[in-house]
Amino acid sequence: MLNDFESYREERHQKTKAWKAKTGGKVLGTLCCSVPEELIHAAGMLPVRLLGEHEPTTEADLHLPTNLCPYCKSWFDQLLKGSYDYLDGIIIPNVCNVIKASYGFSKYLLKLSYVRFVDIPQRISPDGVEFFAKNLNDFKKSLEDFSGKPISNEALRHSIDVYNENRNMLDKLYNLRKMYPGDLKGSHVQSVVISSMLMPKEEHNQLLARLLKDLDKTGKKAGNGTNLFISASILDDTEFLELIEECGGNVVADDMPMGSRYFYGLVDTKDEPLHALAERYLTKIACPRKMLPADRLAFSLSRMEGAKIKGTIIHSMRACDPHLYEYPLLRQEMESRGLPVLFFRGEETATEREQQKNDIEAFIEMLQDSAE
Amino acid sequence: MLACGIDVGSRNVSAVIINDEAILTHYIITSAEEGSSIARRVVNEALAQTNSKFNDIQYIVVTGCGRNSVPFANRQSAEVVCQAKGAFYLYPKARTVINLGAESSRAVKLNAEGKVISFVKNDKCAAGSGLFLETMSQLLDTPLELMGELSLKADSCEEVSSICAVFAESEVISHIHKGIPKQYILAGVHKAVTTKIIELIGTLGVNRDIILTGGVAKNQAVVRELEHKIKSDIIVPNEPQIIGALGAALIARDSIKSEQSHRD
Repeated sequence: MLNDFESYREERHQKTKAWKAKTGGKVLGTLCCSVPEELIHAAGMLPVRLLGEHEPTTEADLHLPTNLCPYCKSWFDQLLKGSYDYLDGIIIPNVCNVIKASYGFSKYLLKLSYVRFVDIPQRISPDGVEFFAKNLNDFKKSLEDFSGKPISNEALRHSIDVYNENRNMLDKLYNLRKMYPGDLKGSHVQSVVISSMLMPKEEHNQLLARLLKDLDKTGKKAGNGTNLFISASILDDTEFLELIEECGGNVVADDMPMGSRYFYGLVDTKDEPLHALAERYLTKIACPRKMLPADRLAFSLSRMEGAKIKGTIIHSMRACDPHLYEYPLLRQEMESRGLPVLFFRGEETATEREQQKNDIEAFIEMLQDSAE
Repeated sequence: MLACGIDVGSRNVSAVIINDEAILTHYIITSAEEGSSIARRVVNEALAQTNSKFNDIQYIVVTGCGRNSVPFANRQSAEVVCQAKGAFYLYPKARTVINLGAESSRAVKLNAEGKVISFVKNDKCAAGSGLFLETMSQLLDTPLELMGELSLKADSCEEVSSICAVFAESEVISHIHKGIPKQYILAGVHKAVTTKIIELIGTLGVNRDIILTGGVAKNQAVVRELEHKIKSDIIVPNEPQIIGALGAALIARDSIKSEQSHRD
C-alpha cells in the first residue's frame, strides 16, 4: 500500500504524462507551500510540485551563480534538461529571494507559454490577507484566461473541500506516526506527503483513505528507534529520513515544507473562498520567510506535542537564507528545552551521505548514552 | 580482564588496551592500509609490549571514520562519544573536548558526569584540518613536528586566507616567491587554522576545562593561538592521538562489566 505513494515520486513524469494523455488537461509546475493549489485544481488543471534530482546541475550552471540554493538550481536544471517537457506553465510565488528571482530566469530561459508570478505579502497581518486575496483574484483571472474557461465559486468550494479532506487525512496519518512509529516510519509518511504534491488530489485522497483504514488494523507498535524531530528547509525526497532510520533514529514529527507545513491548517469553508484561501495560505504556513521566529517555534513545539522526542535534527539547504538566519535561535530554544540539536547544511546531490551518517550515528549514540 | 579500543582515523590508527584498573599499553600507526588488517596490526603491536595475547582480550570497541572496516570488533562507537569518554577519564573536570584530526575537527561539550550534551563537526572545508597543516608542511619544506616550534619564534605574521585550503596554498606559494621568512608564513598558517577552529566551536560555546586532542594538538603554535583566541588555558594530554581509542577501550570495559552483571 505504502509503495503506491513511495514509487509515485520516482515515476512522476510518466504518471503525469499519462494523466495528461487521458484527461487532455493542462499541468502547472508549482513551487513552495504558498501557491493556493485549489485555484489550479478548480480551473481543471493539475498542479505538480517541482522537485530536484541528485545529479550535477550541468545546464543550470551555465546561467546561475555557484552559491545559490541547490534545490532551486536542481529543479531549474531539470526543466532545462527537458525532464518536465510536459509542463504547460509554472507558478512562481514571491517567497524567498531565489524563488522570486526564478521568475525572471524562467521567463527568459524556459519555453513555456504560461509563467505566472504570485505576489505574497512579507508580513502576516489582516491587511496582508486582504492584499493577498486581491492578488489571488488576479491569479484566478489569469488562470481563467489560460484555461479558457471561468472558475465558478462552486468549483472553487469543491476544490477547497477536496484539499481540506486531504489535509485532515494527512493530519491523522501524522498523529498515528507520532503515537506508533513502529508501524509507520518517518520516511513512509514523508513519501505520502510528497506524493500528495504530485498526484491528482482525488486519487491521493482515495489511496490515503485506504492506507488509514489498513493502519487501523495493524498492531500499534511504539517502535524501538530513537524518536527525533526534524526541522528542515527543503528535503524533496525521503533519502535523508531513510538515512536517519538506518542509523537507528525515527522522525516522528516535523517542521518541513515537504512535510507538515504543506498540509497544516484548513481553509475556512464558511468564508468567501478567495479570502479563505488568502487567510490559510498567508497565516498558517510556518515558513521563516514570513512567519516570525517565536511563532515558528510555537509551530514546531505544537508539532511535537504528545511525541516522546529525544532530540532535534535541523537541516538547511546550503545558502537558504531564511532558514540559516533562524538556525542559531532555533538551536538555542530547542537546547533550552532539553532537546539536543544536530545541524546539517545540505546539498541537493547526496554527496555527503557517509559524513552525515557518521554524525547522525554519533548523535543517536549520544542521546542513548545520556538516557542510560 | 582486558578491554581494547581501536580508533581507525583517516591518517592514524591507534589502539589502547586497559584492564580493570589502568591503561596497560597503546600503539599508533600512520598508514593508508586497509582498515581491518591495520587494526589487527596495531593491536598486535600494542600487545607486543605486554605479556598478553590477542585472545586474552575480552571485548573490542572500534571508533573512527574507518570503524565499519573492522569486523573482529565486538561493537562500534561514534568518535564524539569516545573522545568524551577518553578525555573525561583522564581529566574529570573536562567540559569541552576539541578534537583536531587529519580530516575532521569536532568540538564536544560534556556535563559533570562526562556525558556528551552537544557537539559540532567541521563542514566539508579542509582549512582547519590536520591535512591542511600537512600540505603546508610539504609546501614550506618543514617537518610537521617542527612547524609549531618554528612558528612560535616568529615576531611577525604573514596573513594567510582562512577561507579555503586551495586558496591558502596559492597564497603561501606567492609568499614563498616573495622571499618572506618561513616562520612568518607559518605563523599566518597557524592563525588561519585556528580561525577556522574558532568558527567551528563558536556555535557550540566552550566551558572549562578544555581538552585538546588529535594529532593537531601536538602543534604548540596551534595550542598557543587557540588559548589566545579562547582566552583560556587548554589542556593537551601526553598522547593526544589515543584519546578516541582510550574512550573506546573504556566502553569495552563497561560492556564486559555489564555482561558480567547480567550473568551474575
